[in-house]
Amino acid sequence: MLEFLSRLEILLNPTVLGQVIVNGISLSAIYILVALGFTLLFGIMRVVNFAHGEFAMLGAFAFYHLTKDLNWPWMIALPAGVIGVAAASLVLEWLVFRWFYQRMFESMIGLLGLNMMLIYGGVLLWDTHERNIPAASQEVLMVGDIIIPIDRLIVVVIALAALSAFYLFIRHTRAGLAMRAAAQDVETAETQGVDTRYIYKVAFFVAILLAALAGSLWGQIYAVSPHLGERPLMMAFIVVILGGMGSIPGAALGGALLGFTESIVGTAFGAAASAFLSFGVVIVLLVFRPWGILGTPEN
Amino acid sequence: MTQATRITWGVLAAVVLVVWPWLTDDRFLHHVGVLIMLTAIGASSLHLIIRTGHVSLCHAAFMAFGAYGSVLTVMSLGLPFPIGLLVGTGAAALLAATIGPIVLRLTGKYFVLITFLFGEVVRMAIVENVALTGGSNGIFNVPPPHPIFLDTRAYYYLALAFAVFAVGLCARILGSEFGRAMNAIRDGERLAECSGVPVIRFKVIVFIIACALAGMQGSLMAHYNKVLSPENFSGIISLNLVVMNVIGGMSSLWGALIGAVFMVMLPELLRGYVNIQHIIFGAILFATMAFMPGGIIEAARRVKALLSAKPDASAPPLARAGAAE
Amino acid sequence: MTTPLLKIEQLSKRFGGLQAVADLSYEVAEREILGIIGPNGAGKTTAVNLVSGVIEPSSGRVFLDGRDVTGQKPHVLVESGLVRTFQATTVFAGSTVRENLRRGAFRLLYPGFLATLFDTPKAREARARTVAHVDEVMHWLGLERFADHVASSLPYGIQKVLGMGIGLAARPRIILLDEPVAGLSAEETDHVRDTIRLVRERGIAVVVIDHNMRFITDLCDRVLVMAQGRELAQGAPRDVLANTAVIEAYLGKRYAKAQR
Repeated sequence: MLEFLSRLEILLNPTVLGQVIVNGISLSAIYILVALGFTLLFGIMRVVNFAHGEFAMLGAFAFYHLTKDLNWPWMIALPAGVIGVAAASLVLEWLVFRWFYQRMFESMIGLLGLNMMLIYGGVLLWDTHERNIPAASQEVLMVGDIIIPIDRLIVVVIALAALSAFYLFIRHTRAGLAMRAAAQDVETAETQGVDTRYIYKVAFFVAILLAALAGSLWGQIYAVSPHLGERPLMMAFIVVILGGMGSIPGAALGGALLGFTESIVGTAFGAAASAFLSFGVVIVLLVFRPWGILGTPEN
Repeated sequence: MTQATRITWGVLAAVVLVVWPWLTDDRFLHHVGVLIMLTAIGASSLHLIIRTGHVSLCHAAFMAFGAYGSVLTVMSLGLPFPIGLLVGTGAAALLAATIGPIVLRLTGKYFVLITFLFGEVVRMAIVENVALTGGSNGIFNVPPPHPIFLDTRAYYYLALAFAVFAVGLCARILGSEFGRAMNAIRDGERLAECSGVPVIRFKVIVFIIACALAGMQGSLMAHYNKVLSPENFSGIISLNLVVMNVIGGMSSLWGALIGAVFMVMLPELLRGYVNIQHIIFGAILFATMAFMPGGIIEAARRVKALLSAKPDASAPPLARAGAAE
Repeated sequence: MTTPLLKIEQLSKRFGGLQAVADLSYEVAEREILGIIGPNGAGKTTAVNLVSGVIEPSSGRVFLDGRDVTGQKPHVLVESGLVRTFQATTVFAGSTVRENLRRGAFRLLYPGFLATLFDTPKAREARARTVAHVDEVMHWLGLERFADHVASSLPYGIQKVLGMGIGLAARPRIILLDEPVAGLSAEETDHVRDTIRLVRERGIAVVVIDHNMRFITDLCDRVLVMAQGRELAQGAPRDVLANTAVIEAYLGKRYAKAQR
């Protein structure tokens, strides 16, 4: 008990607290980015994308090569890499994903296969050793006693900007409207003149864009390797189960919950404890409310 | 197939299985034989779960319970192997009995997600629990069940005996009235329940038996390999068992067995190309699910129907595990 | 008076803010056919789901043979002799008619896990008995010539009869039928109606739900009319049809006034 309290006390240290908050926000933002795409694919195409984490991995590698090998400036390399990955992934959409639209069960197993292909394809290409993307900035910002590393701040700002852009897109564009209609009921949307084939492509592109961006930002914080995608995938699962599968606000809420849990519990009690806690919460939630906090029950 | 040809084939298969180690002096082929026998236990037990409409992605977690339970009983408590095997199998069954009633209430996609996460939890727990499990280094110098079984040929017969027991049990269950109820559950859960089938109870029974068999395989595998580490029980191992069932075809136990043989042989042929092997497995999973969800069994059936050129109205539908969403 | 076979008391169900069924009470005697009619959304299917244990009621009681069976699971109720059919998934589509009925006869067929595993004499006896029973059900419902046909290949009307057969294979004392003639032609409807009469002749009580007025009034001894989750009227078909509230619910207020 005493040990428990003394560990919690660490959090009161301003330096630690600052880190916890910045960590919490940046982790949340990254998780939301990954989970949004995942939930979008599920909501619209009924596809459970077990390969989602690998698009984050591809995004991170694209970013790594553009900055490190081609020496592109950070500000250009990031969007170029992300858009490049999303555009190239349209080939995968045509080769792989389109076969699984509206076939939930087959999509899970089939895309687990794609997941394996991408991971081990990555291992062949890049081997397993870990690489680091150079930090955008070594500076720190002092707010009172709280120390905030600038590169973390950049991650947060970019992620929040992307999330806002996504929100505007889904709320205020024709394609966004069509996507929301398709997510509710594909058949009705089709009879209302929504071109589902086109909408699927757009949704796929957006989902991969978000995942690749999340991966690039993740690569800023952690190391880049072909196995980078495994954790984001796991986190996307947890986030969408927490929030409710197919629910966009649910993904945002779940991502924030998970990001802060990991940051707080991880700092005080270690990464393993925070992982066990989030798994535990998800398992308990699945028992009592499998449709998640903001989802709606089936039937 | 007539009764006579069926018996002929059965006897032939039995003879091949029994004399296999004596057809060759190549120890490597004996080793492949052991692996096929042990893998068949895992694949056929997972097949049982799949037949109730649930695809479990944490079967390796139960193998881990069996393996660590057995190895710790033998090495830390100094008890003989048979007791270790029983403890390991029992531990896996107990775990299944604990989580089964909870997770088996979930519909297909949630079940897949939760078992995926659960497999990860177990693997993490093994890595973290260094004092008991040796963490990620694992445990070395695991003794064989008996000094006799240091010989691969001898171990082959041990594995064969357990494989015959496990596969036989699965086949017997599927062929019984219990199996009929399982099919009813897979084809229409609510309709089955309203025909008097206690759906959840039956699913839990299947889950416990299947996971106990997985534990048994884990124990036999650990005492054969003489080392065990968390990587032997990662998600990819569970996934491989799913692959076996998928490529074979999820509608029949034969599918799981064909898949097991295939999945053991292929890596051995591709030795040294581990990554390519994973990529090929991945491609197989994708292609099967996209174009031939019924697997090899279904494909064979279709080819046969095509050859006999009679439109067959009684052909069973494609495997529909988890389709009752 | 003897205890009714099925007795429903003040049964209610709320889904969130929606009162799907409110204070529903009725009785079914042995060998009786009770019809429940009402417009779409009247809560008819919910009423069946509540009685058959598919969903749990918010309040109220269900008695089977005088025994309180409220909230019991469907498979337990089957043991007690109450079965039901479904509106949509009525049959095991990929299996033959014979297999469908065998699955329905689970209660008679299943001798316990170990018994079936070792195929004990008890298990063999149960199987022999069930095979005979299934043959009898097929004969009785006129399904014999389809015995080895896959259910999904049969005409819709036959599938509906097979759906009933699955329920009857369990040797029930009462069967609840959820819209057995929805989507059927007039001819097929008549066939289903005759089949239900046969069921009653076997001594089985029937509760049948539909919104086809002609079908229900032709068939039933008594009718219960529902609207918005509540009972509007209950009684002999002729009396209920003359009831003003019923006419209003079905044909609108103006029509009811004109009739007066």
